[in-house]
Formats: sequence, C-alpha cells, structure tokens
Amino acid sequence: MADDWVFRTVDVSKAYGETTANDRISIEVHPGEVYGLLGPNGAGKSTLVKQIIGLLKPDSGSITLGPFDLVDDPDAARQLCSYLPQAQMPIESFKIREAVHVTGLIRGGEDAAVRRRGEELIAALQLGEWAGTLGAKLSGGVRRLTGFIMATVWPGKIVILDEPTNDVDPLRRRLLWEQVRQLGSLGAAVILVTHNVMEAEKSVDRLAVINEGRLIAEGTPSSLKAEDRGRLRLELMLEPGAPTPDLPEFVRHDARVGNNLVMVIDEASATAGIEWSQRMMESAGAEEYALAATTLEDVYIRLTGHTSEEPR
Amino acid sequence: MTTVADSRVGLPPKRAGVGHWLAGFRAMLRWEITNMRLLLPITMMVQLLSGAGLVIGFGLLISDMPEQVALFLSTGAVVITLILVGVVMGPQLVAQQKLDGSYDFMWSLPVPRSASTCAWLVLNVFIAIPGMVGALLVAMWRYDVSFAVSWLVLPAILLTLVCGTLLGYAMAHSIPKPEITQLLTQFLIFAIFGFSPISYPAENLPGWLAELHEYLPFAHMANVVRDALTDGIAVDVGRSYIVLVAWTLLAAGLSGLVLGRRK
Ligand SMILES: Nc1ncnc2c1ncn2[C@@H]1O[C@H](COP(=O)(O)OP(=O)(O)OP(=O)(O)O)[C@@H](O)[C@H]1O
Ligand SMILES: [Mg+2]
Repeated sequence: MADDWVFRTVDVSKAYGETTANDRISIEVHPGEVYGLLGPNGAGKSTLVKQIIGLLKPDSGSITLGPFDLVDDPDAARQLCSYLPQAQMPIESFKIREAVHVTGLIRGGEDAAVRRRGEELIAALQLGEWAGTLGAKLSGGVRRLTGFIMATVWPGKIVILDEPTNDVDPLRRRLLWEQVRQLGSLGAAVILVTHNVMEAEKSVDRLAVINEGRLIAEGTPSSLKAEDRGRLRLELMLEPGAPTPDLPEFVRHDARVGNNLVMVIDEASATAGIEWSQRMMESAGAEEYALAATTLEDVYIRLTGHTSEEPR
Repeated sequence: MTTVADSRVGLPPKRAGVGHWLAGFRAMLRWEITNMRLLLPITMMVQLLSGAGLVIGFGLLISDMPEQVALFLSTGAVVITLILVGVVMGPQLVAQQKLDGSYDFMWSLPVPRSASTCAWLVLNVFIAIPGMVGALLVAMWRYDVSFAVSWLVLPAILLTLVCGTLLGYAMAHSIPKPEITQLLTQFLIFAIFGFSPISYPAENLPGWLAELHEYLPFAHMANVVRDALTDGIAVDVGRSYIVLVAWTLLAAGLSGLVLGRRK
C-alpha cells in the first residue's frame, strides 16, 4: 500500500503534577501497520493515546497525521482517529446491535453500510447470540468485544485500542486479532496498547516498549529479540513465600512474579542451569523448573524488569 | 469484509458545515435517548410526582387558599421541577459518566461540541415536560384554579429550561471531580428550595438576599413562567427575560470554553 500519510508523535511530554507520565516520546506509524505499545502498569501508555485522540493536551511536542496537526486541531483528531478506551464502554441501556449502529452513525458512516459492517463484525467475533441483549446484562468480555466493534465499525485512519482483549476468552481473542489485522486492509493503522506480550508478538508489525514514561525500545518483534538469540529462558517455581535464592553468575537477567522466578541464560549454560535448578529443588524450596526458548516476553523482562502478567 | 469501501486510501478532508453538524446532532440525540432508556420512565415518574407533590404539599401548609395564592404556589412548583431537571439531574448524569469512565469515550467521538450540547438540551426538555404538565393538572384539580396561558408559555418555559440546563451542564463539565459536582447539586437543591423566591415573594427574604436574587436567574425564571401562565401576578417581566437571556448566553459561553478544554 502506498504510504500516502504518516502518523508521528515527536518528543511528546506530559506530566500530571509531579508525575512525568510521558517523557519525550517519538513514534511513527504507517498506513496498514499494527503498532504495539507495551509497558508495565503506569508506564504512560494510556496517557500517550489520550493525547492522540485529543482528550489530553501534551505539555510539549507535536502529534501529526499527514498534514493535520492533531494537537492544534482536536476536531480533526476525533474525525481521523477512533478510540477504544481502557475503561468500560457506556452501553448499559444499549443492545449490542444498537450501540454499534449508533456509534457508526456518530462516526459519520452511512446507515446501511454501518449496519452491514456491524453485523459482519458481530458475526466474526461470534457475538450473534447476544446481539439483541442489553449491555447491562452482558458479561465483561462480551462488553469489551462490543467496545471493540464500536471502535472499529466505522474506523478512522488511526484506530487506537487500549487493551482490547481484557476479559476476553482465548477463542474470541484470536478472532479479535484477526479483525485487528483486517483493519490494515481498510487503509487504517492500529495503535494497540497491551500487556499481553505473547499475543502482541503474533499480532503487531512493530512495537514500542514504554517504561516510566520513556520509550526504551522500538522495532519489529524479531529485531527486538535479536539480542536474545542463543539464549534460553529458565523458569523456577518457588514454594509460596520462599525467598529469592542467590543467583549464579550465568544468569543474564531475572524477574520474580509471585512465586515464579524467570531468568535468561546463554545456551552454553544450559547444563549448569539445570544442575543449579535441581539443587534449588533439593535445598532452597523450589518446586519445579522449566527451560525453554526465549520469547518477546524475555526481551520485555530485560527492558522493564517486570513480566507482562504481573498482577494489577 | 470490505463494506467500508476499499477506496479509503489517503486521508479524507476534514468534515465541517451544516450537514456534518446536523448528522452529529441527530446521531447524538439518538445516543442520548437510547442511553436514558432504562432511566427515562423512572425519571419522568419522579418528575411527575415531585411536581404534583409540591403542589399538594403547599396546600397542606396553607388551608383555605385564595385563588391568587394557589396560582402563585402552583406556578412556583412548575418552575422548581424545571430547574431541578437542568441544575440537578443533568449534572448528576454527567458526574456519573465521569465516575464510570464513559466520559472519555463520549468526548472522543467526532461530533461538534455544540451539536452534543443541543442533543443534551433536547433530551432535557423531553424529561421536563411530564413534571410540568403534572403540576399544572394537579393544581387545577386540587385548588380549582384556572390558568391564563398566553403564547409566551413556549419561550418562557424553553428559556427557563435551556438556561437551567446549560448552567448545570457548564458546572458539571468545568468541575473536574465528579464527587464535588454531586455535593454541589445537593447544595443547590437546598438553596433553590429554601432560599430562592420562587414559591414565595422576594420580600419575605432578608434584604441582601432579595437583592442578590435580582441578579441570579432563579427568581426570574419563576417570574417569566408565572407571567405566561397567569394574569396580573408577575411584574417587570421584560427585565426578567433580559436577565435570563444574559445567563443563558453566559452559560453557553462557559460550556463552549470548558467543553473545548483539554487538561
Ligand atoms: N488523571 C491523572 N492524574 C494524575 N496522575 C495520573 C493520571 N492519569 C495517570 N496518571 C499517572 O500517570 C502515569 C501513567 O499513567 P497511564 O495511565 O498512562 O499508564 P498506563 O501505561 O496506561 O498503565 P496501565 O497499564 O496500568 O493502564 C501513572 O504514574 C499514573 O499514576
Ligand atoms: Mg492504561
């Protein structure tokens, strides 16, 4: 597809009082691209996307889409970008079908076409069973999916999805990712905020990792994994409450989530790693261990010091 | 899946103009009405009961009511129901949106702000009608009064509603913390019921407060509505219209400012 426009943030900074939520963030997104924003809780992801859609104003820096300056012209931002917020959608009094239809009309869609595409999306995400059910009676996951359809039934050029798969079951997550991919073929670009690194790895073209307000890495999933080539992930399950044991020299980096200790080691240290793990099981209260190929998750841990599944 | 035409290549021009405004207004009105669907019957019922209740309640305070007093009190009741819709119920709905997080979604939609505001006004007019009519009917039945309805009833009631609703709207949107908005509406109920010369003459108030109400909108709302529904009770109505129009413009301007504001 011809790149007839580019979306850019340049040095976007935003503080809430003392908290610097965004610190000179620059990204670039192209038509048809799915661009992931990853980072731990409080990293500043939602703050960034709220500035794109014109709900917040950057303290400094610029946000442009082609010739449009989205900071100076929030009306243009609202027309050109559609947005699924992280919070639940206000659809208690709406049947799924109605919420989708009215949102499409508000977004400037033509009646019959909005209806048609709405029905297609409802079918594609297997929500037909609830299409006529009031929002107040829907489960959290179905509401989330309805929100996704509302944001994409008449998509803008930039579709911003802030954690679209929260509460969604694994089957429908897959269906949702398929629809995310389809948006590209409609000429839109998708900015996807997510915690789920494993899913992001499969669904995004490029991604940025944000930590404490700063962009700390950017690239394709495989370019980000390049540094971890030739390395393995060693995972050790500790007994509840057991202290983190002293780590051997060959551990490149590590993170602990609950009772789970996740480490990255060189392939050459695999045997040593297994031996150490077995010793830990005998003496230091480890319950089991696993050795596996590294994934984007390990890159994420290296960059942020957190796993992506940490409890909220 | 190509119903959204493949021709969506390149950036569309920015939409503007009357057609865009009207389409946004219609779609937003549809949204607002559907959104109130579960609450609408109960809200209208509450309005109806409070209108009727006020009229009957005044009757319990004063036995053997002369017709002029009955007219004064029942028109006061009508005005109170109108004010409650705009200044109390409206802000509470906005505060609720801020609390449940749906506020961000609503303001991310590509509708001109003035179109959203107009949809909101129309919704409020709808909600206010049953309480108003209820209060009038109950007054006719209970006190056997007859109203002298003039053509001014339409501008008087619309102006009262629009002014009150815009004031509530500007207030709810400019206060960042919804909890504060909710507290403030509680205070307003108290201030409007107890300390505004709506269902009693301003002379009954201490001088400074009566003076203050010369400039606040509430007493003037009562005056124009009373003028449109009765003969010879209201005085100096022209001035009341001027004050109300000024407040309406002020509230509209303030709404325009706070709605466009990004933090
Ligand atoms: N309205 C606000 N007022 C003050 N501070 C805020 C506000 N919103 C966010 N913050 C702070 O700004 C920082 C970034 O928040 P943000 O919501 O952008 O994070 P996030 O990356 O979206 O996190 P999460 O994954 O939990 O959604 C956090 O430290 C947060 O506490
Ligand atoms: Mg967030």
